[in-house]
Amino acid sequence: MSAARPEVVADGFSRRRPRWVELVTSADHKDVGRVMIVAALGFLFIALVEFVLMRLQLAVPENSLLSPVTFNRMLSLYGATAIFIFAIPLALGFFYYLAPLQIGARGTALPRLGQLGLWLYIAGATVLYAGFLFTPSEAGVNPLAPLSELAFLPNNGVDAWAAATGLATLGFVLIAINLVATMRKMRAPGMAWRRLPVFAWSAAIGSWLLLMIGPVMLAAITMLLIDRNFDGIFFADGSGGAPLLWEHMSWIFFTGAYMLILITALGAIAEIVPVFSGKPLFNRGAVIGSLLAIAVIGTLAWMQNMMTAPIGIGWMYFAMIMSLALIVPFGLILFNLIATMVGGALHMRAPLLFAVGAISMISIGITAEMVHSMVAVSWRLHNTMDATAATHFALVGGSIFGGFAALHYWFPKMTGRTMGETLARFSFWTMVTGTLLTFVPLFFAGADHGQVVDAYKFFDGTGVNAENLIATVGAFVLAIGILLTLANGMLSRTGGARAGHDQWGGDSLEWFALSPPEPHNFDVLPDVRSDRPMRDIRAAIANRSRRAERAARETQPVA
Amino acid sequence: MAPHSPGTDQIDTLLWIGFVVAAIAIVAINGALIYAVRRYRGARDTDPRQVRGGRRTQFRVGALLSLFAMAVLIVSLVYTEKARETPTTGSAGLASARSEPLRIEATGQQWLWRYDYPNAAFSYYKLVVPVDTTIELGLVSTDVIHTWDVPQLAAKRDAVPGKTNHVVFRADEEGAYDGQSATFSGQAYAAMRTEVDVVSPQEYKDFIAEQKAGIQAAQDRVVGLIKEGEVP
Repeated sequence: MSAARPEVVADGFSRRRPRWVELVTSADHKDVGRVMIVAALGFLFIALVEFVLMRLQLAVPENSLLSPVTFNRMLSLYGATAIFIFAIPLALGFFYYLAPLQIGARGTALPRLGQLGLWLYIAGATVLYAGFLFTPSEAGVNPLAPLSELAFLPNNGVDAWAAATGLATLGFVLIAINLVATMRKMRAPGMAWRRLPVFAWSAAIGSWLLLMIGPVMLAAITMLLIDRNFDGIFFADGSGGAPLLWEHMSWIFFTGAYMLILITALGAIAEIVPVFSGKPLFNRGAVIGSLLAIAVIGTLAWMQNMMTAPIGIGWMYFAMIMSLALIVPFGLILFNLIATMVGGALHMRAPLLFAVGAISMISIGITAEMVHSMVAVSWRLHNTMDATAATHFALVGGSIFGGFAALHYWFPKMTGRTMGETLARFSFWTMVTGTLLTFVPLFFAGADHGQVVDAYKFFDGTGVNAENLIATVGAFVLAIGILLTLANGMLSRTGGARAGHDQWGGDSLEWFALSPPEPHNFDVLPDVRSDRPMRDIRAAIANRSRRAERAARETQPVA
Repeated sequence: MAPHSPGTDQIDTLLWIGFVVAAIAIVAINGALIYAVRRYRGARDTDPRQVRGGRRTQFRVGALLSLFAMAVLIVSLVYTEKARETPTTGSAGLASARSEPLRIEATGQQWLWRYDYPNAAFSYYKLVVPVDTTIELGLVSTDVIHTWDVPQLAAKRDAVPGKTNHVVFRADEEGAYDGQSATFSGQAYAAMRTEVDVVSPQEYKDFIAEQKAGIQAAQDRVVGLIKEGEVP
């Protein structure tokens, strides 16, 4: 081997400021990503509390635990928290932490932009919950105009909602810009696009998707704020505006966000399954192409949410064709994941367990969603509990099961410690039981009895008493399961077993860095020769020590 | 919930087809997943063969999936088109609605439905229609978006301010059918319900006459009060 090039190793310089000051002022992608992941998981806890409270209200018919106004506030907060403050930032946090490491970069292209993105998101979350000081929004998960207009909700709740989600979305767009620039310009030597790890591809596709849908939502939110505060008429009928305009713009964003969450989860799963099967991904090209197809085709299916609106039948058929076309990329990804396991040596640790759970939940969710996209079926099931169940199967599967798979997998890299395995198993099975108990009965409440979404109560004699009671019990079980993993994470951060730098024998370059990585990520930039660079590096090291051994043997004098 | 209109019949059939196909797909995917996990788990010491799938396999699987998607698409299109057909008034229906449907306007408002019948009669909450007669509801809204949803009789449709949406149905049996608004519309959204009473054509005519008489009486009373100077 040639002699090592001279390297400047910046190691162990003293910290003058307290740790938390370092953390909140840092523009390093690992610090930003870590704060984002931790904040998102914290807000998962809050979303969970809101979800359980709403389920408690819906435990028995005509319950009066929460007043209608309180329920509507919970509903609006839950929707905003689950999507803008938990699911998207969790995905972006993992992207932001890992994608630069995976492409062998020493940082990001526009670090301060990413830092600004993080703090805009935190500001958005703060505004949303500062709403408790005055009045939270009462306009529902997606505040459809004209209900969200000043005439119908004159208090400032909707303004708080709009400011909060607007700030967060702007933050996401800035982070996406930085990720796109980083992926484009800062890949290690030899790291061609075709050798990029699947999760890094997810980051690139997800960032591009956010650059498409984020500005649409920002425009819609701005228009809503103008309507409410400056006598605007964007969404007012009769004066040249149109309520349907808000529906189109918001559904483009929400549908794209749904796809973003699934792209992130499937990307992480496509990293975990090969590593824990001891085999390469069955066909990388097909999986990456499918992720791209999901981003494009999936977002084009936004009118799937508008099948009962006064739009032409042709638009409904267009949405249905786009939704059903998704069968091909989703099916290909599931096929490739299962084909990777077949013939492998499955190492059934927590990351793989959660990944398998995520595949299962996502498969249920997207299959139900396929049925919903059949136009005539949507005329029956739109806005029923059946739709709630389908969406939650896909998003709980993607964001929580998938997110936890990623958390267990990359936790050793981020903290230098592994998460407790026993607690992880216990949490996993509790979560699986909870998810099935909560959402399977809701499928039937929606499909058989037409129970509607977002309502603060249901009536006795509509035949959905048992379904709702089971769902409430399930919500508690699901919440306990999720809390166990959150607790596991907190305990393991300082108390977990020490992890190696290449804890799982991964294929991608983040495992080449130390655990946790140094601020500059890598002392030596690796030279990438294949799509499994870490495997090559391990082989080279083994080869070198074998050669050294042989050389040592040969120089031994023969007795 | 049994369908009671030709359109909901088709919706119901398609829903069942979708349910069965989805159930099969979910069982197949999860079955394969569980099989793979159980069969290959724990073989920790073996060094698995580093196989990758070729392009040809992907094309085959992709082609199969495309065929499946096409089949689902065609079935959905067929049933959706059938569900959209406008039924014609039957022999037991209202005679005057033979040539064209009985048009009733449904107005959504927070948190009640108002129905305006031909001949200036109207009713709140309860819609009364003759059996075996094609009804065309024109859906409008005076405030926010509402969804008119009586699942046994018709496809659900939104009432959006500034636009008119249409629901067409023909109830095949007399009786009362419950419905609920299905788009979040504010505080009392959960209580925004409606009921469709399907009656014989004669009873329908009686109902309209009764409503008109009631409305007339109420108006007369108000006019009387104004004349007496009790209402300014």
